[in-house]
This record gives sequence, C-alpha cells and structure tokens, in this order.
Amino acid sequence: MLKNYLKVAWKVLLRRKFFTFISLFGISFTLMVLVVATSLFDHAFGPQMPERETDRILFVNMMREQGKEGYTSSGPISYYFYDRNIRPLKTPEMISVNSMFFQVNSYINNRKLALDIKYTDRAFWDILDFHFLEGNAFTQQDVKNANRVAVINEHTRQQYFGDAPALGQDIVVDQVKYKVVGVVENVPVLRVQSYADVWVPVTLKSQDFNKPGLRGTYFATIKARQPGDIPKIKAEYAAMMQVLERQQPNKETRLFSFPDTFLESFARTLLGKGQEPGLGILYTILAGLAFLFMLLPTINLVNINISRIMERSSEIGVRKAFGATSKTIIGQFIIENIFLTLLGGLLGFVLSSAVLWLINDSGIIVYAALGLNLRVFATGLLLCLVFGLISGVYPAYKMSRLHAVEALKGGSK
Amino acid sequence: MIRHLFKLIWNRKKSNFLLITEIFFCFLVLFGVLSLVFYNVRNYTKPLGFEHENVWLLTMQTATDSAALNHQNQEQVLQRVRSFPEVEYAALTSSNAPFSFSQMNNVFSAGSVKGIQADVYEVQDDFKDVLQLQLSQGRWFGVQDNASNHEPIVINRAMQQKLFGQEDALGKLIQVNDTTNFQVVGVTDYFRAGSEYAAEEPACFTRINFEKNPTYFWNELLIRVKPGTGIDFEEKMVKELAGIGKGWTLEVSTLEKMRQNKAKLTMIPMIALGLVCGFLILNVALGLFGVLWYNISRRNSEIGLRRALGAASGQIYRQFIGEVLVLATFGLLLGVVFAVQFPLLHVFQVEPEVYVTALLCAVVLIYLLTTACALYPSRQAAIIQPATALHEE
Repeated sequence: MLKNYLKVAWKVLLRRKFFTFISLFGISFTLMVLVVATSLFDHAFGPQMPERETDRILFVNMMREQGKEGYTSSGPISYYFYDRNIRPLKTPEMISVNSMFFQVNSYINNRKLALDIKYTDRAFWDILDFHFLEGNAFTQQDVKNANRVAVINEHTRQQYFGDAPALGQDIVVDQVKYKVVGVVENVPVLRVQSYADVWVPVTLKSQDFNKPGLRGTYFATIKARQPGDIPKIKAEYAAMMQVLERQQPNKETRLFSFPDTFLESFARTLLGKGQEPGLGILYTILAGLAFLFMLLPTINLVNINISRIMERSSEIGVRKAFGATSKTIIGQFIIENIFLTLLGGLLGFVLSSAVLWLINDSGIIVYAALGLNLRVFATGLLLCLVFGLISGVYPAYKMSRLHAVEALKGGSK
Repeated sequence: MIRHLFKLIWNRKKSNFLLITEIFFCFLVLFGVLSLVFYNVRNYTKPLGFEHENVWLLTMQTATDSAALNHQNQEQVLQRVRSFPEVEYAALTSSNAPFSFSQMNNVFSAGSVKGIQADVYEVQDDFKDVLQLQLSQGRWFGVQDNASNHEPIVINRAMQQKLFGQEDALGKLIQVNDTTNFQVVGVTDYFRAGSEYAAEEPACFTRINFEKNPTYFWNELLIRVKPGTGIDFEEKMVKELAGIGKGWTLEVSTLEKMRQNKAKLTMIPMIALGLVCGFLILNVALGLFGVLWYNISRRNSEIGLRRALGAASGQIYRQFIGEVLVLATFGLLLGVVFAVQFPLLHVFQVEPEVYVTALLCAVVLIYLLTTACALYPSRQAAIIQPATALHEE
C-alpha cells in the first residue's frame, strides 16, 4: 500500500512541475536556514572540542556585586576569590583557574600579529579536551616554576613560523619570549572560556594572586566526577556564596555568582540579568523564532497543497465511491506530503552544507568549523517531518470531507 | 467596480483566507526588516562628529599596584609619545574610546530638567585635536580651566537640546550630584562614538586634570599619527614604551579597524536578516503566483461566459488584477492595524518617521509584489476565447 502511495505521489509531483518546484524550493530553503542556525547553535553550545564532556563541566565567569540603591558592578572573578572560595569546594573532581583572554601584539618581519593570550593552570588541560597536533601541554612543574612556556594554536604557528618546525622554538608575544611546548587545533572564538591563540602558565601573572576583592580577570572551570554531581556542586557553591555574602563588610551588599554550563551562563548573562538562569526564556525565544520563521513557508505550502489536491478531486471521488474512508484518504495525503518534504529536506541538506562551507571559508567567525553532524542532521530531519505534517494535515482534512458525488462533479468551493 | 470587487472577494473570504493570512505575515516580515534597515541607514547618514583616520588607540595594563609609580610611568609614557616626530597629538581618555565596546554613563540635571542620561568621556585637552572635533559654540577646555571654580564640560547638541531646549547652554551649570557642578564651556554639533549605526545620544566631555589627580591611572591613550605612518613605527613605539612601563601589557589598534569591527556587528545580522527576508518574500511570491494561476485557470467557464456576454479582454484583465489587489488590501489592512501600534506607542524609542517610512514602503512593496504575481495569470485569462472556454464545459 505504502509503495502504491509513493508511486502515486511521484506521478503527481511530475504532473505539475511548477508547483513541485515551488514546494521543494520553499521546503529546502526553509530547512537550509534552520539547519545553518542549528549548526551555529551546536557549534557554540554543543559538546565539541575542547569542551567535549559538556554534562560534566561547569564554568564560573561572573561575579556580580549589588549594593543598596541598586548600584551593581559585575565582571570576571578574582584569583583571590577562586583561591579562597572555589578551590576548597569538596564535590568537584577538578577545578581550574584561567584568565580571560587579552589581546596582545606580536611583531614579525614588519608585520603585526594580534594574538589573544590566556593564562591557565595545569588542570585546564586535564579538564578540557584539546587536540594536540604537536607536543603537549605545559606540566605542573612549568606552572609551579612560572616557566615561560606556551601552547599555541595552529593559526599562530602558521603565521609565526610558516612551514618551519615550531616545537622548542621561541615566540615573542607582547615583548616576552616564550618557548613553544605544544600546538593545538584552533579553538573557535564562540567558545569564550577556552578560546585563545596562545596559552601560558597562570603563575606568570602572580602579582594578581594576592589582590583582595571579588572581581578580577579570571574564570573558573569545574569538572564533576559524574554528570549526577552537577546539582550537588551547584548547591555547594550556592551555600558557599551565602556564607560569603554574610561576611561582607557592607551588610546590604548582595553577591551573585553561579557555576553554569556554557549555555546556562550565556542565557544568564543575556536574559537573566546575571541573576536568573534565563535558560527557559532562551529556549522559548528560540522556539518562537523558529516557529515564526516556519510560519510563512508553511502557509505557502498549505496553499499550494490545497490547489494541488483540488485538482485531484475526481480521483478522491472515485476512491470514496469505492468505499475508501476519510481516514485512509487523510493518511494517503499525509504520506504523500511527508514524502515531498523529505525530498525537499534532502535538497535542504545539500544546500546547507554549501552555505556552511561558505561561512567557514569566509572567516566571519574566527576559527569556525561549522559542520553537519548527527545532532544537527537529526534536528533537521525532525523539523522536516513537523513541517510535512503541519502543511499536509489541513488540506487533507479539507479534502477528505468532500462528498463523493460533489467530488466526482469536480470539486467544491 | 471596486465595490463589486470587494463584494466578490468578501463572498469567497473562506477560500481566500489563507492567501490573506499569507499576505498579512509577509507584510509583517517586510515591515520589521525595513524598519531595521531604515533605522540603521538614518543613523549612518548622520555625521560622526570626528575624524578617525590615522588615529591609534594604545591600551595599557599595569603590572603593579603602586599607584604613584604607575602615575609617574604614565607621565613619562605620555611625554615620550608626544616627542616622536610621527605623532601629531596624543590624549588620554577614559576606557570608552570611540568604537570601543565599553560605555560610561551618568545622570545629569540642569535647572528644572532632571535625570538626563548621557555618555561621559573623560579626556585630556589634546582630545579635540586628536579627533579634530568641531565646536559650534564656545571653546574647548584647556590650561586656563586649572583655576576655574567649576569643572568645565563640553556637551554635544543632543545633550544641549535635552537639558536646555532652545536656550543658550554656554556658561550654564550642570549638576551631577549634590557636591559636583559642571560649567558648560562649549557645544559640539554631533558626537556619536559608539558606532556609525548608533543613534544620536546625549554625550559630554569632562576634563582630565593630570596634575590634580596623582593616583588615577588612565588605560587608554589616543594618538593621531602623521598620514602614512605604518607598522614599523608601531613596533618601535611599543618597544620603547615597554621599556618605560616595566611589565605593562601594551596593545595598539587603529580606530579604523575598530570602526570596521563595530560596523560588522551591525552589518552581518542585517545582511543575514535581509537574505532570510528575501527568501521568504520570494517563496511567498512564487506560491502566490502558482495559486493565482491555478485559481484563475479554474474559472475558465466564468470567463467564457463573461466574454460571450460582450466583455472585452481588457476588462477581464483588469478584473483579475483588481481582485488580487483587493485581496492584498484585506491582508494589508490587518497588517497596518498591527503595525501602526509601533509608531503610536513609541516601541523601542525609535523615531516614528522610521516606522512610518517602513510601513509605507512595505505596503507599496506588497502591492507591487501581488500585482507582479497576478500579471501573467490574468493575461492568460484575458486571452481565452469565449468559444473554447464554453466548449470545455
């Protein structure tokens, strides 16, 4: 039966080529835009190098101090705060402190190379999963002794050393000479907490270590023993913050700082004013946007489907006269429509891979490597089916209510 | 004729419902995107109020906590920078240099006008020459202000209008809090430092008095270099300055590059939105075309009959175009009722003109679009021979 339906569907597609073209164009382009958006989202927030185990990693990026009269200030945390308050936490398996990235200049042969430098400890390399192309991360000993060693990314190696070997060579960044001990694959800039061009030991900034105060230039990265520990870590962190708040000299001061997953921290900064989680709002907004964006093509498709089905009213009449129920007819049209959307979906995937390639190639997003992975593909397919169902149900329902006699006469208004 | 057409469409409102909805949403999308485009274009065409070519921004981060030492080093850095033959002017500024990502605001009051929020730029006297600001009234501040009772302040026209309206601002006092008063010494025409696409907001400049404030460290130094000065001078300068400020992190960027970065932030979403919108509209146009074609071709018998009764083919042509325009009008009426709320309620604090222009443009575009889609099917209908049409029946 299904085979028969598909055969009919194929014949119908070939009959009105213009309508088929419009439908496929609409479906494939809509899907293309959605797949590109999904891919961007996955690239920014999904489990990818170097944050592969997203369900076990939490980030602390912000500390927000709110005094009375609504005065607030917020920014990355201080080393002091990390050392005294985050490091003693019991639940996490590993905790790393790393600075935000700073842009610095490096000059080679009358050329300027603007590099982003980040100061990290050893745990940073254990928690995150960088792809080393050459060499290794600096060791605990390097960090302890504040050795001038650096891990650089592929792009920097290419710019600085060209085709010559980089390992063991010196690189001068911001008038300071570092020895290269490792080369890693480029980290996209959307991964703010790990991104840099050059990573060097945090102990080189040891003058920061004793500056009191809660805000500074550091992030903390926390790894849980297992995904189930995440709520426990959050609870322990919240309890620690409460104690800290009570110790503040000014009783009115309120403090906000949370260990968040990457997506949570983004949502919190953007939508939750640094206090509320905001994840729910973010999802609602994204879903709303996707829905609005799909609305026009869907209405368009419904319109075309109605015209297309109207043409076939005599066929429906005959089938009804021979005893087909409304249900079978609805079923047939929906299957036909899903077939059509899947066809459009296939085209959409081809188009989106072309667009993603274009985006990667143009360098709009630094070190982007957008791609179609399984997660993106599955989302696309799901959207496709939803699309097919929505745009197929109404026309099919409308048609199935035709009376056999009227349908045989050639449709109704 | 028109009343007749309205009646025709109204009677078939159920079968035309989807087409009307489609036009309605299409209008909303166009209205939204056009509003955004017009808003940015409107801002872009206003002057920035300063010259950013050949201006570099040097960002300094200190290594030690000793304020006295840092201040002393900064003084030396400033002297050294000004002594380079390649440098024309240099001025320290607060962290919100033009095209940077940071902002500084404060609330000001003057007379009965209270609580005006304005961007505040703390700058040195040379700032005017570095950015080549043009003053429309009064003067820029300078050494003669060392002895004045009130701190001097230069404001832009937007701020003058908000605080003083039509009155002359020169010499007036502006209050920040109970103890601090500024005295207006000059007014600039425009100053939009955020980005070329930023709206014109109130802004003011306050004076950095380097000698009076020996503990503060200003991170940003704006430098106007002679045209044609390149990267070799930059390297030389950074090396020498690194020798003065031991362990400082120095970063040089050009305002031109920062401007491009800022512009990208506006342009890329706008281009992406434009492409998406273009695709949606094209999709709708194709769909409309297909559906109209199909619908009109189904009315062969009706057309045949009208022709047989003596209607000219031009009349048929006009009737179908008219029907489609009426259809579009229904969709647009719905859309306009929705869209006029934006200028009426001042949504997003955007000037009503932007919304009204976008609204009118969207209406015109939708009419053009629907007419274009109806042209071919209507022509097909008009050239039908009455005999063939009636024969088919």
